[in-house]
Amino acid sequence: MIEKNNNRLGWLFASPYLIFSTVFFLGPLIWSLYLSFTNWDLISPTYDFVGFKNFTKALGTPGVRSAFWVTYKFMIVFVPIVTAMSLFVAVIVKGLPKLKTVFLIGFFLPYLSSGVVASLIVKGFLSHTSPVQTFLRDRLGLDIDWLGGSFSALFVVAMIMAWKFTGYYALILTSGLESIDQEVYEAAAIDGVKDSQRFWKITLPLLYPAIYTTLILSFGATFGIFTEVYQLTGGGPNYATNTWQMEIYSQAFKNLQAGYASAIAIMAAVATFISIFVIRKILEMWGKRNGWV
Amino acid sequence: MVGSNSNIKLRLSIRYLIAIVLLVIMVFPYLYMVLNSLADWSQVDRKLIPTKFTLRSYQWLFTGGETGITRPWIHAFFNSVFVSLVSTALMMMFAIMVAYALAKLKFRGRDSINNFVLFHMFFPAIILIIPNFLIIQKVGLFDTYWALIIPKAMSLWGIFMYTNFFKAVPDAFIEAAKLDGASDFKILYKIMMPMSKSITTVVFLFLLMERWTELLWDMIVVRSDGMLTLNVLLSQMFGPYQSYPGPMYAGAVMLTLPIIILFIIFGKKFQEGMQFNLK
Repeated sequence: MIEKNNNRLGWLFASPYLIFSTVFFLGPLIWSLYLSFTNWDLISPTYDFVGFKNFTKALGTPGVRSAFWVTYKFMIVFVPIVTAMSLFVAVIVKGLPKLKTVFLIGFFLPYLSSGVVASLIVKGFLSHTSPVQTFLRDRLGLDIDWLGGSFSALFVVAMIMAWKFTGYYALILTSGLESIDQEVYEAAAIDGVKDSQRFWKITLPLLYPAIYTTLILSFGATFGIFTEVYQLTGGGPNYATNTWQMEIYSQAFKNLQAGYASAIAIMAAVATFISIFVIRKILEMWGKRNGWV
Repeated sequence: MVGSNSNIKLRLSIRYLIAIVLLVIMVFPYLYMVLNSLADWSQVDRKLIPTKFTLRSYQWLFTGGETGITRPWIHAFFNSVFVSLVSTALMMMFAIMVAYALAKLKFRGRDSINNFVLFHMFFPAIILIIPNFLIIQKVGLFDTYWALIIPKAMSLWGIFMYTNFFKAVPDAFIEAAKLDGASDFKILYKIMMPMSKSITTVVFLFLLMERWTELLWDMIVVRSDGMLTLNVLLSQMFGPYQSYPGPMYAGAVMLTLPIIILFIIFGKKFQEGMQFNLK
């Protein structure tokens, strides 16, 4: 009797999710598979099936090729920087007797910024007349067109993201550091572990779960870059910052190629899925190999 | 690690010094934004610290703005407030309901739903944007508040967080309440909710912040001037041609300040909640 009642209640409580995921997840999933084999342009009432033409066409365009590579370029720049910055903040803030919460919340504030706001500030900050640019030009003779160069544009976007995420990851790492018992260090000191070895031999192994979390989060974040790129560079210069989302947005909502853009979205999802899976496996192997897990 | 007392003190003050310098650097972009929003228009983006101040940028924002409707900025601000609050409230409500079922009700199919939620959460959402846009268009919700709210009414992450939290609550609490004749709705409302105050703070703030700063979705499902959210208006007005740098910073302040104030108010609770969340 109770079992039966529970059955009905369980489905009742879960029903909002079941309805939502049918309408906005499973249905759309099938629909976008279907669309990817058509040449629909978002407006005409009719369209044709074109088989795999969208996919083969996409593979040859600079937009899609750049979207594929740009994601990994962002990883190479963003992940080490944000990891180093958040680790540094965590090491400094950990165990401070006073104001620790104030610091942690302060460092967290950039995470609250809208990507639009962060981009606009950076754009103003790097504009021709800005104090930074004037200083570089007049004092150092450097006239840098930050958003005009391929690498510098990518670097600027990666730095905005690092600024945004540092405080969040520092929060995770701080709580990881604080869960390490002080006695472990004392015992290690007695066993003759040198101060210079402390980080590699004790801190890193015990911090591994927290570092793993922040690394997965930061690798994952690179697959979702849109706002900053849209606002600052529009994917340029010459596709240097053209992310998957940017490419899909341009094809679907600017060029109105719904079918073609769906094919790109599927390619993006596959690339994301495989990349994240491989990165996870590598991180786990790294941990296991060193005996940290 | 054994050092004299003064040595430890010195180390500590150096750490405080570094922490303060770092914090100033990290918060500087916000500072720059606020100062420029108040700066005289001849000094915007020309000085690191402006010297002449004016409220002209805010005045422009509150009375002008040059779009199809009057006072577009105030309009967009309230659009954002309305959409974010309703969306977040729905996400919270559904997350709590679903998580209670997944964590505390034993019913057939529960494990499958649990696994499906995880699959859904880690699925690259990028693939859904085009068909979801088409659904909104097909059912005639394009350019309405519903388009901004309904597809953003469910948070997988929210369900996941609450499920984990509820799982940690001992079943004994619930069984005792059931013996007293309490219904599941009552248990959820009277027992589970009061216990989850700190996690509720964390989930609420994260979801609200995310909704408040959404760009892509809000940009594609509404078109008319009166429907734009603040984030989208800011993005569109100050795109490639920064003709009004002062008001741009004032608009940025208008978007950023409410959420920061909220975080500072709930800061302590937020940090407590994060501690649980990270364990």
